[in-house]
Amino acid sequence: MSTENEFDADMIETLGPEFTVFVGLLLIMIVPNLGNGTFRIPGTSIRLPWFLGGTRYKAVASPRLPGLLAVLTMAVALFQVVWYLLDASAADSKIISSENGIEIFKVNMFSRIFEAIFFAALLLAAIASLDRLPTGSQKSDDIDVLFNNRRQADFYILMLTSALGMSVVALAQDMFVLFVGLELASFSTYVLVAFHKETRAGSEGGAKYFIVGSVASAVGLYGLSMLYLWAGSLQFDALAAKWAADGASSLSMMALGFVLVGFAFKISAAPFHFAAPDAYSGANSPVAGVLATASKAMGMLGLMRVLLLITVPDADADGSAIWVGLLGVLAAVTMTWGNIAALGSENPKRMLAYSSVAHAGYMLAALTAIGAWNWGLVDNGGDAMDVVVAALLFHMFVLVFFKLGAFLVLGVLEMEGGASRLSSLAGLGKREPLIAVAMFLFMISLAGVPPMAGFLSKLLVIMGIVEVATGTGSLSAIGDAHWVWWLALLMVINSAISMFYYLRIGVVMYFHEPEEGREGALASGSSIRVAIALCAIGTVAFGLYGGELIELCRNAADSLQ
Amino acid sequence: MAGGGAITTIDSGIIEYAIFIVLLPMLAFPIILFLGHIFNGNQTWVKSAKEGGLIALPIMVASFVLSLLLIVEFIGASQGEYSIGTWLSFGWIDANTMEIDDMAFGVGIYIDHVTVMLLFVASFLCMLINIFSIGYMNTDPINDNRNHRFYAEFVLFCSGMLGMVLADSFLWLFIFWELMGLCSYLLIGFYYEKPSAAYAAKKAFLTTRIGDVFLVIGLVMLWNLFGSLDYDVVFYEGNIAKVDPGELQLALGMMFIGAVGKSAQFPLHVWLPDAMEGPTPVSALIHAATMVNAGLYLVARMFPFFANGDMAGELVDLAFIIAAIGGITAVMAAAIAFVQDDLKKVLAYSTMSQLAYIFTGLGAALWLANTPGKEKYAIVAFGAALFHLFNHAMAKGMLFMASGSVIHEMHHAHHDTHHHDDHGDDHHDDHHDDFDAQSMSNMGGLASKMPITATAMLVGSASIMGLPFIGGFWSKEGIIANAWRVALEDPRFFFPAACVLLGAAMTGFYMSRMWLKTFAGKPKTEVAEHVHEQTPWIPIPLVVLTFVSLSSVILAGMMFTHWSSDTGYAFFSDKNLIDGMIYEFEHVFLNPDAFFFVLTYVAIFIGAIVGPGLAMALYGGSLKEGEKAKPWMQPIVNLSSRVNKKRGFDNSAWANSGLSDALRERLYFDKWYDAAMLKLVVGFANISAAFDRNVVDGTIKTIESTSQKISTQVRRLTTGSARDYIMMAALGVLVIYLLLGVMI
Repeated sequence: MSTENEFDADMIETLGPEFTVFVGLLLIMIVPNLGNGTFRIPGTSIRLPWFLGGTRYKAVASPRLPGLLAVLTMAVALFQVVWYLLDASAADSKIISSENGIEIFKVNMFSRIFEAIFFAALLLAAIASLDRLPTGSQKSDDIDVLFNNRRQADFYILMLTSALGMSVVALAQDMFVLFVGLELASFSTYVLVAFHKETRAGSEGGAKYFIVGSVASAVGLYGLSMLYLWAGSLQFDALAAKWAADGASSLSMMALGFVLVGFAFKISAAPFHFAAPDAYSGANSPVAGVLATASKAMGMLGLMRVLLLITVPDADADGSAIWVGLLGVLAAVTMTWGNIAALGSENPKRMLAYSSVAHAGYMLAALTAIGAWNWGLVDNGGDAMDVVVAALLFHMFVLVFFKLGAFLVLGVLEMEGGASRLSSLAGLGKREPLIAVAMFLFMISLAGVPPMAGFLSKLLVIMGIVEVATGTGSLSAIGDAHWVWWLALLMVINSAISMFYYLRIGVVMYFHEPEEGREGALASGSSIRVAIALCAIGTVAFGLYGGELIELCRNAADSLQ
Repeated sequence: MAGGGAITTIDSGIIEYAIFIVLLPMLAFPIILFLGHIFNGNQTWVKSAKEGGLIALPIMVASFVLSLLLIVEFIGASQGEYSIGTWLSFGWIDANTMEIDDMAFGVGIYIDHVTVMLLFVASFLCMLINIFSIGYMNTDPINDNRNHRFYAEFVLFCSGMLGMVLADSFLWLFIFWELMGLCSYLLIGFYYEKPSAAYAAKKAFLTTRIGDVFLVIGLVMLWNLFGSLDYDVVFYEGNIAKVDPGELQLALGMMFIGAVGKSAQFPLHVWLPDAMEGPTPVSALIHAATMVNAGLYLVARMFPFFANGDMAGELVDLAFIIAAIGGITAVMAAAIAFVQDDLKKVLAYSTMSQLAYIFTGLGAALWLANTPGKEKYAIVAFGAALFHLFNHAMAKGMLFMASGSVIHEMHHAHHDTHHHDDHGDDHHDDHHDDFDAQSMSNMGGLASKMPITATAMLVGSASIMGLPFIGGFWSKEGIIANAWRVALEDPRFFFPAACVLLGAAMTGFYMSRMWLKTFAGKPKTEVAEHVHEQTPWIPIPLVVLTFVSLSSVILAGMMFTHWSSDTGYAFFSDKNLIDGMIYEFEHVFLNPDAFFFVLTYVAIFIGAIVGPGLAMALYGGSLKEGEKAKPWMQPIVNLSSRVNKKRGFDNSAWANSGLSDALRERLYFDKWYDAAMLKLVVGFANISAAFDRNVVDGTIKTIESTSQKISTQVRRLTTGSARDYIMMAALGVLVIYLLLGVMI
């Protein structure tokens, strides 16, 4: 482990992906504005060219340029992250600290794999958005076209800022830094959700998301201030040391509860999920996909940091963490609520939103199991914890492909008209066989059907929980197992319920006739189709050949401790 | 119980490419189907590619050449058995370590003498039948524009058969076995618009399915015993020694039922005669040469269990059952063949009967293998049974193709005589009138008109009957002799032994009857007078197979040299083929043991003189005035005519007897089975349908509607007002504190 505390070339190398995103951000702001603009020295008539404004150069005037820049930026950043993950020698963590010794960032496998999740989701969303935002000829006098062209840059700038915020969350070693990153990402997504402010659903969804999100942030910040009051520092190390020394006090428990609320909103756990369906259905589909994958992973990351690093299980009677019961209830309620609500949803986007609530429940169940990791039955608690954490990481990673992919398919439909009714999907099997097949793959992967990635991830999570609950597996009766076993059973039952609404999409696509006026092939748009194809490939490939990725996730899980 | 090591693993040489024997036809399947779909009806496609026939042919030739090279390599290596390692392996995630476990199951190739025999039979006949099909299918008028489907299913079938033979575990054997079952369903039902063909396909599928269910049960039991289905593991002596003999016998018995279904033996034989509804090349391929041998192959594969020292004497009951099933079927099928009028049906029953011979032979061989001190005889008996499989496949493939040739030319002659005036007439007309091109009552006197076909039919029949020096003679003598050899030790075996001896006479009768009714005598219809051979593709396989059948003594010699010495019982110090052949001659005709000496001549007498003599007396007759058959057939026709005149008797009493009626009704098996199906299966189906509708669907519908109701209630909580959302969140905070408070 090495420490950097000076801003120099070494630090730039360590924080490569983050600098890439930052540079990309600057480029999107500057490059489209390059032109033959001049600057008159006050009081004279001398005009100096300063290359901003005026008539823009032809090369930079294309309205598609910001989008392409964003795709390029995300691709390079993702490449850097993946390079780090695959480079065995870089597996040590590096800590960035300020002059007075406060640790700010920590670069290791664990944080980098989260960045891979964020950047992959944002890259796919950026590729898909290239077609989603209408652009027009640069010469057009139509005010709408002009307006749309101008908005291109805004959209991608927000995407990159959210990427930056998320990576700050991934790297943060200090609760306050983490909070700043969280807010940077959140505010970007609030605006992205409301980006279609012309539509009622867009502005309404954005507003609600913002309001409820602000409340959650405020509560979380309140919790943070209590934590500071309690420990005198917001460093993870300091907090963990304090927790280990003092154990739970009423102040720290109160703080913990408030902080949990802040993150629970991010992962849309019940009952803090209410704004999510509104936000998802109002947002642009790729943006909704980002909310359901990257944004959720960010919340999960915060939860893991707080719950697994600070409030480690103490050695009380049964060796479980103090929050096991709470999280167990939260997980059970969340997964059941999400699935039941999704059952009756007639709006595919709301359906996917509720399904993402259910998935949050599955993830919480896995976390609950970790909380019980060093209770009596498990001989080697550390290993068991690694298994579950790795399963969780794998789950969040592959979720990017099929959850985002499903949203992108809805995005294609949105380009033609709405995607707000189940019948919008009707006849897709005939209209666009390839897209329908991709959608079907995403659905069965979400439901957890082999050999899709979703099956493998769900299987790993369930197996991890069962292993924690039963220890060596040689139990005489189910009653001897830890109660988290029941969460695994509940997951299985919930998966069975979820089959119903996932497969219904297949029925609608293949057996229902298209709506009036929606026959024939869909609107063109090659880049969104490329993104869907990438998602489909990922869904199948990681299901069949997930071994390498699982290995990677295990290494990442190892580096958490 | 994992790990074996009984088998030498070799991974260089031709065997490296052996997988292509299976893969080439399998890959040709989609290609032919796809091209046929695109170019359907295109003249180039029809004329130059023969609608896929000329795409399939090079593939099958390549498969055959590869098989031949592999066989040559195997014989050269003089290894008892060998296999090649694994090409593919499928892993599974280990729950505890989250690591990938390799080698859950793999694909490999296993080769021994049984494989080699079957591999040659399958690849050789598949190739010849492909040639025949080009002549037969592509001139069949009702096949317009869909022969690509035939060729596609044909190559897929071939890959199934070859894969089954080469598989290195019972699991893959079963997978390819089922692939064949599927293709046989498709091919039998090739004329699916004909209700009888659709019915026959369904019947074949369902009947073999009954056997397959038992086969699966047997395989599961075997897995339970050994923890694996790889030959490497289950044939390993150390592993077999640890197994309970009773359980093993039960498992093998279950698997034998699967073989009974596939090889159309009593009581699961009912599908084979109906399966003649398929095109004739299909009958030749599936119902004579390859698929029906799958069951025999499966039984032959069980040999190592019986030969194991620790199992000695424990499995003789199963060996007896195998032989007894064979004995029953041999006599029953031969009797039914007496009264069949349809050319192909006679051959179908003959197939059943001859396969039964092989089962009896295998039963005897397995009995000998399972009895200490008889191992040497076991190898000879086993060889005789497999050798009969070879001879029968060659002869029966040839007979079916020859019958196809007859039927084909009858069709054309019928077409020419009846539609001479209007040539523009629709071809499909053929099938709307009553003329039956397969009925022997419409034939007669074809010996002079179809010389190649008649010769092939003659040699094939002789081989099946076991006329001395021709094809099946060598192997049939072996089977009969070994059945009696066992009967002398174990009195139970008198039953199958007597059956096969009786069957020899019956075979002589029905095969002679078939030949005489078709080729001798005067033409019975106008159509039969206008028949002539015309398609160039059809005679090629007939000529080739005629020579193979005539020269089978060479293979008999090989059996005594290569086979026996490779399996550890050397008859000769060096593998000299001539020695082997001379030994075979001596052994058959001048057996030192008085009992077997007499037995041989009894068998020859009843099979080659009594049976054919009776047939000649009943059905013989000279050709039409002025027509002459080829010099090697003319004496037979003349003889039959003379016997018929001299000894001819009126058989109407027999023909009208109750037994004869029963035989025409196939001994009522089909009726009984149908009745049983209607009562039992349909009754049970109704009950289970009611259960499904009310209980299963009812439960699911209740769950569905209830959860929809709950869902509506739950979604009502999402009011759409941000104020309510925050209220709920606040409630959530309270709940969190309650729960955390409980903790402290």
